[in-house]
Amino acid sequence: MTLTLLDELLLFSGATLLVALFIGRGLAAGWMVTILYGGQLLTLLKMAALGYGGGIIASSLSFTVMGQNLSWRFDALSWFFALITLGSALLSSWFACGAWERSYAKQGGNIWLFHLAMALNVLSMLILLASGDLLSLFIGWELVSWAGFLLMALAGGVATQAAMRYITYAMAGGMAIFGGLALVYSSSGSLQLDAVLIAVESMSTTKLWLLVILFGGGFGVKMGLLPFHLWQAPAYAETPGPGSAFLGAISSRMGLFAILLVLVKLFGIVNIDSLKIPFTLIDARDLLAWIAVFTIIFPTFTAMKQNDARHLLAWHGIGQGGYMLLGVVVADAMGGAGGLLHVFNHATYQAALFMAVTAVIHRTGTADLNKLGGLVVRMPLSFMVLLIGIIGLAGLPPMNGFVSKWLVYRSLLNEGMPLLFLAAVIGTLGTILSVYKLIHNIFLGQLRVEHEQVKEAPWSMMAPMLILAAIIFITGLFPGIPLAWVASVQEVVGLPATDYTLGGVESVSGSLDMIWVIGVLFAGFGIGAVIFYSAGRSKRVHQLDNYAGGHFLSADVRYQYSDNFYAGLMHLVGGWYRGSFLWLEKSVISLIDFLSLVMQGLYRRANAEFYLLSTALFVMAWVVI
Amino acid sequence: MAPLELLLELTLMPLVAFLVGMMMVLMMRRIAARIQRRVGPPLFQPLYDIVKLHSKQTQVSHGLIHDIGIVMAMGGYIAAETLLPVPGMNGIAEKGGIITLLYLMMIPSLGLALGVGQCANPNGSIGIARALTAMLAYDIPLVIVIFGVAYAAGTTNLVDIIAQQQAGGFATWGAVQMPLLAVAGLIAMHASLGKQPFEIYIAPAEIATGPMVEMSGKHLGGLFVMQCFQLYTISVLYVSLFLGGGSTWFDFLLKSFLVLAIPASIAYLFPRYRTEDLLRLMWKWPVMLGLIGVAFVL
Repeated sequence: MTLTLLDELLLFSGATLLVALFIGRGLAAGWMVTILYGGQLLTLLKMAALGYGGGIIASSLSFTVMGQNLSWRFDALSWFFALITLGSALLSSWFACGAWERSYAKQGGNIWLFHLAMALNVLSMLILLASGDLLSLFIGWELVSWAGFLLMALAGGVATQAAMRYITYAMAGGMAIFGGLALVYSSSGSLQLDAVLIAVESMSTTKLWLLVILFGGGFGVKMGLLPFHLWQAPAYAETPGPGSAFLGAISSRMGLFAILLVLVKLFGIVNIDSLKIPFTLIDARDLLAWIAVFTIIFPTFTAMKQNDARHLLAWHGIGQGGYMLLGVVVADAMGGAGGLLHVFNHATYQAALFMAVTAVIHRTGTADLNKLGGLVVRMPLSFMVLLIGIIGLAGLPPMNGFVSKWLVYRSLLNEGMPLLFLAAVIGTLGTILSVYKLIHNIFLGQLRVEHEQVKEAPWSMMAPMLILAAIIFITGLFPGIPLAWVASVQEVVGLPATDYTLGGVESVSGSLDMIWVIGVLFAGFGIGAVIFYSAGRSKRVHQLDNYAGGHFLSADVRYQYSDNFYAGLMHLVGGWYRGSFLWLEKSVISLIDFLSLVMQGLYRRANAEFYLLSTALFVMAWVVI
Repeated sequence: MAPLELLLELTLMPLVAFLVGMMMVLMMRRIAARIQRRVGPPLFQPLYDIVKLHSKQTQVSHGLIHDIGIVMAMGGYIAAETLLPVPGMNGIAEKGGIITLLYLMMIPSLGLALGVGQCANPNGSIGIARALTAMLAYDIPLVIVIFGVAYAAGTTNLVDIIAQQQAGGFATWGAVQMPLLAVAGLIAMHASLGKQPFEIYIAPAEIATGPMVEMSGKHLGGLFVMQCFQLYTISVLYVSLFLGGGSTWFDFLLKSFLVLAIPASIAYLFPRYRTEDLLRLMWKWPVMLGLIGVAFVL
């Protein structure tokens, strides 16, 4: 038996897991695991033809269970997501090696368990991405869910609570998917993709609706779509630093992968579009689009209220997921490209942002936005990485986040959807406000006395951050590089492929060429610099040489403006934060509590006649019907 | 297009913008003076101001980001001008389009915000918080307007949008075709200028001019230059979207100055709104007008 490249990749990933398991306690175990991630990435790059539309690579492993053939294979879709997974795993693991590991162990963390959980996550994600039928998809899905739990629960305390909340949601989602699978099986008699594809054509509307709700809800839990988003921010934020960079970059995108595979590729956007909601003008596709924009807006504005940098970023992670779904659901060439490209772009800047915040925690011991400030002079490189990251997150030129959001905006404009367009822009504006608060409260403003001796993050942490920053800029300058992969993904899932160039996209209704835009922008900066620096020399005063209200300020007086940063805005919109979703969650919990109490009451009565009577009634009813 | 010709356009467009922008600053100051029964500054006053600020003896900088912020504030607008077509010159307008222009115009604000942040003055920080809130207020009607115009034109390419308006003379102007959007756009444009009654982030009596509080010498000079570009960009953008751009330079400049004269004449008659009142105002009337306008376009 010859091994295909996919076999090699999965074996490599399994070997990484074994190394982390057996020699993960030794010296330099982190470096070893990191090098193995590098090896996996190289193996993936050997399959690069997939990313440019080169067919399918199957795994030699396949077996039959109860008449169902389980198989694994990679196509452009899997390759694109696997590239992001392995890239973020490599850089997060690299970030964890050395200085971070030592301080984590000193604080009582178990570094062996951390690397083990990471390796397990990567392996299970690769298995999920390789799934060749719906049964292997379900197996991969459950693996990913439990592996994610392991990583989230590592830190103990609050983290464990958040992870428990996550696993409750994930199990409910898993049930929904399982129900969907049973329904698919009952109508097609098979869980093979080809068979399902044929069965979908003859499905009744009711059944299709039920499937869209079950699969959409089940996969949506992982993506943190409204109203299933509450678990995500605390779970990701409380994970140990590099772990949250990895999870924030890719973990919840597994939900998008599954949505692309099942809802877009198998069911088809056209079929979803034909599902009308009675007595309204909207259909299932509009419903998905509106869920996507609410997922953009609400979490973004929740992020603005956060006082912990990690929580702020994690909430944005949920919101950015909305752009991806929105683009995919709009489903024209530009929208699909925007949504898919955003998966890549988001992974790059989200990982960089979490790393920069972790670097700050490493040096100062806190991520509390009210207990930091003025660190730009102490940690200039971390500041730069965070700046590049937030420009990407906010979706401004010249970083990559702009290109993907531009594509989503353009698709909404082309399709004539003003309210969705407006909602998407409101999300972006909210993001700008929130990320300025992030960078201002950490790096700008007054330096605290206790941070006057803080040093820049160590190089083992700085190097992966700088690499990510470079990727964010380069893919913003040449969006054609990832767009080539995105175009082949679009073909695989049956969306129209976008017409891309190295610098952006070509279109009769308005093109984008980032090479020119960025070139001119930097020329502008150059001219600005010439004007500025050719004027008289300025005297650099000390950071703390300042005054306000006619008084000289000194370092021992704390005057950093950080709390309730957007006081004027909150004066108006503050009352709109009602915690409705929290209320919804609580009411579901109390409903289940109540039901379990009722069941328990029935059970405790141990009334044999009552059981006999109810069983008899049930059987009679069943026979009659 | 020959590379040399393009290079010439890319150089000339910001230069024209700067010169016209200085005259626009002068116009606004003259209008303010007339309303307050003063004579107002002479023709070259804006130029004198810029030269004076850049050649001050004492220049205080609060650090590298303070300087870079000012460079970004000027540079961002210099770049934005090349995306804004003027009579006879399109620059790289076809390679970016209106959405890119809108987002490129946020770069100077970001630069300013970073620069002010490093000054570590709470008044400055409050000013930026207010300025970003104001942006959230006026950008919502502005994007509705831009959506309407771009959808009606079927393109985000400003060159095409202008050409379509010029095709049928006055009757095909955006303002005639889409009057509701034009009104909403005018209100949003006024707010984005940061003049009274919307100058919540300057507010000298409350936060000591906010972002400008730690600026002096060439830093303040840079902001002056930025303001010239800002006035030019906003009024020319409005002219391009609603008043058919300019077929000749005379036509173009006349429209640009007239458009700017409207908010300038209103501005000095009113006191300042509170932040939440600005939000309420912006999210109510122009948004309503804009959405009705878009409904007509669709």
